[in-house]
Amino acid sequence: MILEQLINGITLGSIYAIVALGYTLVFGVLDILNMAHGEIFMFGAFMGVLVTNTLKMPLIVAFLVAIGVTAILGFLLETLALRPLRGKKGVSHLAPLISTIGVSIFLENLAHHFFGAGNHPFRTSFSEMSFQIGSITIYAVQLVIFVIAVLLIVGLSFWLSKTKAGKALRACAESLEAASILGVNTKKMITTTVIIASVMGGIAGVLVGMAFNSVSPQMGLSMGLKGLAIIILGGMGNVKGAMAGGLILGLAETLVVVFGESGYRDAIAFALIIIILLVRPQGLFGKASEARR
Amino acid sequence: MLAELINPYYLQVLSFILINIILGVSIYITLSTGQLSLGHAGFMGIGAYTSAILTLDYHMPLVVGIVAGAVLAGIVGLCIGIPTLRLQGVYLAIATLGFGEVIRVLFVNLEGLTKGAVGISSIPHMGRELVKGLQDFGFKASMIGLKNNQLISLSVFLILLIITLLIIAFFIRQSNSRVGRAFAAIKMDERAAEAMGVNITYYKVLAFAQGAMVAGFAGALFAHVTAYISPADFSYHRAVEILIFAIFGGSEVIWGPIFGATFLTAMPEILREVNEYRYMIYGVLLVVMMAFRPQGLIDTQMIYKMKQRRKKKGVS
Amino acid sequence: MRKFSKGLISLVAVTSLLGVTACGGGGTSSEAGSTAGGEKPAAESAASGEAVSVNVGVVSILTGSGAGYGEAITNGLKLANKEITEQGKVKMNLLIEDSAGKQEQALSSAQKLMNSDNVSVIIGPTLSTEMNVVGPEADMNGVPIIGTSTTAQGIPQIGDYVFRNSIPESMAIPASIDAAVKAYDVKKVAIIYGNDDVFTKSGFDTMKAVAEEKGLEITTIEEFQKGQADYNAQLTKIKGTNPDLILASALYNEGAVIMSQARKMGITAPFVGGNGFNSPEVIKIAGDAAEGLIVATPWFGDKPDEKVQAFVEKYTAEYGKAPDQFAAQAYDALYVLADAIERAGSDDRDAIRDALAETKGFNGILGEMSFDEEGDIVMDPTVLTIKDGKFQLFQ
Repeated sequence: MILEQLINGITLGSIYAIVALGYTLVFGVLDILNMAHGEIFMFGAFMGVLVTNTLKMPLIVAFLVAIGVTAILGFLLETLALRPLRGKKGVSHLAPLISTIGVSIFLENLAHHFFGAGNHPFRTSFSEMSFQIGSITIYAVQLVIFVIAVLLIVGLSFWLSKTKAGKALRACAESLEAASILGVNTKKMITTTVIIASVMGGIAGVLVGMAFNSVSPQMGLSMGLKGLAIIILGGMGNVKGAMAGGLILGLAETLVVVFGESGYRDAIAFALIIIILLVRPQGLFGKASEARR
Repeated sequence: MLAELINPYYLQVLSFILINIILGVSIYITLSTGQLSLGHAGFMGIGAYTSAILTLDYHMPLVVGIVAGAVLAGIVGLCIGIPTLRLQGVYLAIATLGFGEVIRVLFVNLEGLTKGAVGISSIPHMGRELVKGLQDFGFKASMIGLKNNQLISLSVFLILLIITLLIIAFFIRQSNSRVGRAFAAIKMDERAAEAMGVNITYYKVLAFAQGAMVAGFAGALFAHVTAYISPADFSYHRAVEILIFAIFGGSEVIWGPIFGATFLTAMPEILREVNEYRYMIYGVLLVVMMAFRPQGLIDTQMIYKMKQRRKKKGVS
Repeated sequence: MRKFSKGLISLVAVTSLLGVTACGGGGTSSEAGSTAGGEKPAAESAASGEAVSVNVGVVSILTGSGAGYGEAITNGLKLANKEITEQGKVKMNLLIEDSAGKQEQALSSAQKLMNSDNVSVIIGPTLSTEMNVVGPEADMNGVPIIGTSTTAQGIPQIGDYVFRNSIPESMAIPASIDAAVKAYDVKKVAIIYGNDDVFTKSGFDTMKAVAEEKGLEITTIEEFQKGQADYNAQLTKIKGTNPDLILASALYNEGAVIMSQARKMGITAPFVGGNGFNSPEVIKIAGDAAEGLIVATPWFGDKPDEKVQAFVEKYTAEYGKAPDQFAAQAYDALYVLADAIERAGSDDRDAIRDALAETKGFNGILGEMSFDEEGDIVMDPTVLTIKDGKFQLFQ
């Protein structure tokens, strides 16, 4: 039973990790905490539901549509909410945070309007498939999620370190001005970053639908807050930290249910946030100087 | 004649407006030193639950309960404010957000104390207790031509009005004093203030504790006006709502959150049709405000201009 | 200092002015289009052959996350009102206000209905949390209030003016657990419930009490929170303890997902659900996983009863979908109210309250019901199960 729970924890953790990636990218490059990320994730999940349930198209199409829609949302977020704040004088560093909070409320209620408040079932043909190894049952879905998470992380790391675009992004993360002087099209880079981050959220959304068979507009808030906890744990702006943090949170939550009071499951994430911020604000993998800005 | 004018419905709405004004002021205090707290709903909850439990289970008088609630919230604020001193902007916001959620989960799980998600009902209601007390002294509502429920709503409104005015008065004086100037200096540039000899530790913690205490106070009042509270009343959504009062109304001067709270609480009542889109409008408001007028609608410039205009007209 | 006190005085003046100004009651949607705001229609006696005219306030969730329930309830009320008005003995003017699921708004709406619109009786609010705030106020104002969907403990006990026609968990759950225990020879149960919602927590308290009373072994108690999509951890734990029966206290959203995930995981034990599971949505969301669910409810849409089938037909024709428990209870509630108003013969609040309290043996689409001395409903719940994709009587 413990092994099955561990697998549960890893599956959960992988999804959390993908969501955290989105946060970490935006924070790393823009120094902005995108509070709307959770809602974009939720929209991705709903796109998955719409495509598989209402339009009855295969899963691949669901992924593509989710990617498309969340990319558009990310683009709009950047252009309408974040860019206007970038050039201005005297705008406090809290302004983008507050702006994204506004976007998150707007999206959450927009979803309520379009999709109603209830859960929507998400059924795919292969969510029933499973393997038996000894006394343990592993579901195909769980395997797929873990594999996709690993692929995304590896792919992203590779892209960041080896490709020109990825290096340009890292340059922007170090210093927007220096990057711009060196010929990087920072505007495009920033928009690309937000779009990639949003797409991460969208993919995670479809995965959640697959794994847990249900999607509701309230998912965004809860996932958003957990995502925050993860990047704090792992270190903001740190890709490896996001993966590690996601897995740790997923496992921790599952173990709390196994060994302790399942009522406190949500509190784990938040308690972690506070403890890490007080003890080691740069997170497990972050650099010491980052937190004190 | 009095009876025709006093409508408990309007008084109810006004009472909620007053409580929201106090909440707006509470977040304004912490914002005035540049600290953004997303956890004020937690402090509100502490005040509410403390007062509810003390008055209901331990039969303490209302005043004791409300003051105890505020004080406890303030102490918790102190405990949170000190360790989070070195956290800047975004990190502080997240830490307070985490704190708010932890408090909510505690309310849900500490069932022996808080009755969990079921909530605490039959909390002594401010107005009803007062009117009952008056009746013991022989004073009946009919003596001034009112029905019982009208007198109850009226007394709640008047009590809240006096409290709100006192709080506003206090903080206006504070902002004009040395403390207020220290706050402003810290908000503008912490390092510079420190270099000039301002004890930023003391003032930042003071602002945080004050904000927490006022939020706790509002929470306790809230408990005794609705007579029923549950953990869902003090969620992240509430924290954001409180934030919007100050962000929309104005985060530079105290009139900002006062205006913000009044406007945003009254609007859904007046425009009930708009209500369906209320939160979407809030969201858009936040984005638009940040883009075009991040200091909120009412800022120091506007107040200054209003004062200038008054001077010109020769009103002393 | 003088400038400052002038500012204070103007603030006080403005606030007091606002408090005293009468403004036209805007935005109340009213049924049968008669007077909204301020005026009481002339009360006419039923004996003279003319209809008794009454202003009835409705507080319902029209917007926000509970709007589904509110919609079903207001639909049920409107349908009932149409029929009752046609019968000509009672004419009710429904004034519907939105509470958006928030207690403060529910309270303000109720205040508006009671004081600005001068209703004689209120139906609603939708949630037990809202009723906890509005009930005491209505009771104090002497306005009878009927809950059609509030099933938490303690509601009718709020006061003499508070009634409810929705079967409380404390009546429904023992019935369903009884039936399940007998049918499946149950010795061990596991319980899973949402610990951050009044309704589900209240349901859990009853479930636990009943299980203990019956001497069943409770293998484990698991909790979940709103917004959670993943119950695997809790369900795996439950699976490990091998219960004969699982008691679930959840709203249909979460409940359907829990069943779905449980079945996927290979848990075969049957589920007993609380009031929240009484919805065709459960079948829609959970699909095959919903088979075997046992639930006690006042409402059985497929009951071979004339009245029930007529209602289902009319409702479906009018609104395009089948009525659920909420619509049915609202419909019945309005009929109970109309009956009480007829007996009271006027729109006087106290007369209506007394007539309501005297309701005995009333036959509605839910069955035969009465109000007890506390204003709670007395009725036998029906135990249903989901078989072959629909709700059927549980044998």
